[in-house]
Amino acid sequence: MGFTTLLDILGSVIIGGVLMTIAYRFSDTITEKTYNHSGELIIQQNLSTVAQSIEYDFRKIGYCKNWNLLPDPTKAIISADTSSIRFYTDIDNDGDVDSVRYYLGPTSELTSSANPRDRMLYRVLNNEEPKSANLGVTQFYLVYFDALGDTIQPPVGLNGGIVSIEINLTVENTDAYDQIYSKAFWRQIRMVSRNLKNR
Amino acid sequence: MSGKATFIVIIGFTILFMVAIRNFGNISGEGVSNMVGYYSEMIAHNIAVSGANLAANQIFVDPTWQDGYSNESFSGGTVNVSVNIIDAYKNIRQITSTGSYHGMVSVVQVTLSPSKFSKFAYYSVSEGSSIWWMAKDTVWGPFHTQDNLRVSKHPTFYGKASSLKSIIYQTNKTTDKPNFLGGYESGVNVPLPTDAVDKMETPAVDNGHSFTGHDTVYICFARDSIKYKYSYSAPYTTEYLPDFAPNGIIFAKNSVLRLQGTVKGQYTVACNSTTSSTGKGSIWLDDNIVYDKDPRQYPTSTDMLGICAENYVWITNNTPNRTNINIQASIYSEKFGFGAQDYSSGAPRGTINLFGGIIHKTRAAVGQFSGTTVTHGYSKSYRYDERFMLASPPYFPGTGGFEIVSWLE
Repeated sequence: MGFTTLLDILGSVIIGGVLMTIAYRFSDTITEKTYNHSGELIIQQNLSTVAQSIEYDFRKIGYCKNWNLLPDPTKAIISADTSSIRFYTDIDNDGDVDSVRYYLGPTSELTSSANPRDRMLYRVLNNEEPKSANLGVTQFYLVYFDALGDTIQPPVGLNGGIVSIEINLTVENTDAYDQIYSKAFWRQIRMVSRNLKNR
Repeated sequence: MSGKATFIVIIGFTILFMVAIRNFGNISGEGVSNMVGYYSEMIAHNIAVSGANLAANQIFVDPTWQDGYSNESFSGGTVNVSVNIIDAYKNIRQITSTGSYHGMVSVVQVTLSPSKFSKFAYYSVSEGSSIWWMAKDTVWGPFHTQDNLRVSKHPTFYGKASSLKSIIYQTNKTTDKPNFLGGYESGVNVPLPTDAVDKMETPAVDNGHSFTGHDTVYICFARDSIKYKYSYSAPYTTEYLPDFAPNGIIFAKNSVLRLQGTVKGQYTVACNSTTSSTGKGSIWLDDNIVYDKDPRQYPTSTDMLGICAENYVWITNNTPNRTNINIQASIYSEKFGFGAQDYSSGAPRGTINLFGGIIHKTRAAVGQFSGTTVTHGYSKSYRYDERFMLASPPYFPGTGGFEIVSWLE
């Protein structure tokens, strides 16, 4: 074994080490980027899912297939607060009046997820058990407006004069690489259920 | 040897990069696809809503319109609208608007029902230039005026309020802004017809009861019976009411109608004038006119009354009415208003307890005040009969148009 051979081995070790380092760094970066990109895609999909669900329900405030059962749709919103709302509608279009309630749970009930800010957004139909899934909702904030476009200070009770609603929704990752959470925000500036303007 | 190793290393890294980039590409693609899906659905929905709005507007302009739209290009997509009569007897119509955009489809269904004036808790054509809705005023039920809506110090409107003209604040918006708890729309045109009472004669002749050739007709509802006479001193004639006016309309042609009693069932009394005299075609309330079963105590009560005069509806200044008057009806005064006789003289006469609605051309006075104290005439306690949101007395005048009763999207 000559000096040349030693140099070859030393060179190979150095080059191999560099390549290993590159491969490790590459793997780490790929993992991070994949995690973040996938996370962003997931929160975008979650946001879209929650937004579509909210839009579907909120557009039906005051609706009933048998409209005689809700003759005055302006009384359809039973109670409303900054992060909760309860209203009458006919959600399954069967001619019966249903009550639907949305509310945001506390951060303390999601201790299993890494994100300290995520909460459950609950939907309650009539007297059924609240239903929810952890979609990483960190903000569900409602602002209410009267017929002249002025803000109504919540809480608002029955027949509180709500004509339109601003909906603010933020979704974050439930878990994130290095605790760097991605965030997606959706705002419906004026959600108007047409039924509130009927008659 | 080293050349091969280098080649293998380069190929290996290239494959790794390709896999990673493909993965990132897929994620980005799905992200864009998600956004485009939501966007397309939103546009399809907006197209469907626009189609429904266009059709509703056509029906409001021309109530007979049923053409719909077929495959009209709209906002990059297409819209199809059909109008169907889903209840021919009640003339209930349904607009179905379908919006399509890049494979996404959204459907909006709007149900429209003919609109009656009886649905209003309060309606006027002219409000008068010096009458303000004040802080103590509360209107329960739908409100409409063809005039400006003059407000002072936050009056409250519990039902939907609308006006053809705009809101006028006595001082400014901050001081006077009304509480519209049922919403408010301006620019809404609901004109009062000029011949609706005249047209009520036909159904009265067909299958109701029509009084003709009498200067004055005195009517006293007595639950199942009706008592009537043609002069103050004459004795009443009594008849079984369901046989007397099977379709529920009692009409006095070119006459003065004097009314009181207890109503059982659904009836409309109407009175017109064939001359320009305002003496005829007016209805005078000589005493309480109430339901056999007050719906506030008996929620299943079907008793319902319409009082429709071509000219005035007056509260008579007589002995029975000097200690309050109870009125349970929807009152319609086509050319003038609902008021109290001699409202500006004599001692205070108590309270008008009205349960129903007032539809009149102009506001008429029922009393005079000094501060908050009634000096002459009546104080007011008006409550809306919410059953009028769904039902109306027989042949009560319609607005000639439709109203949206449900909107599904």
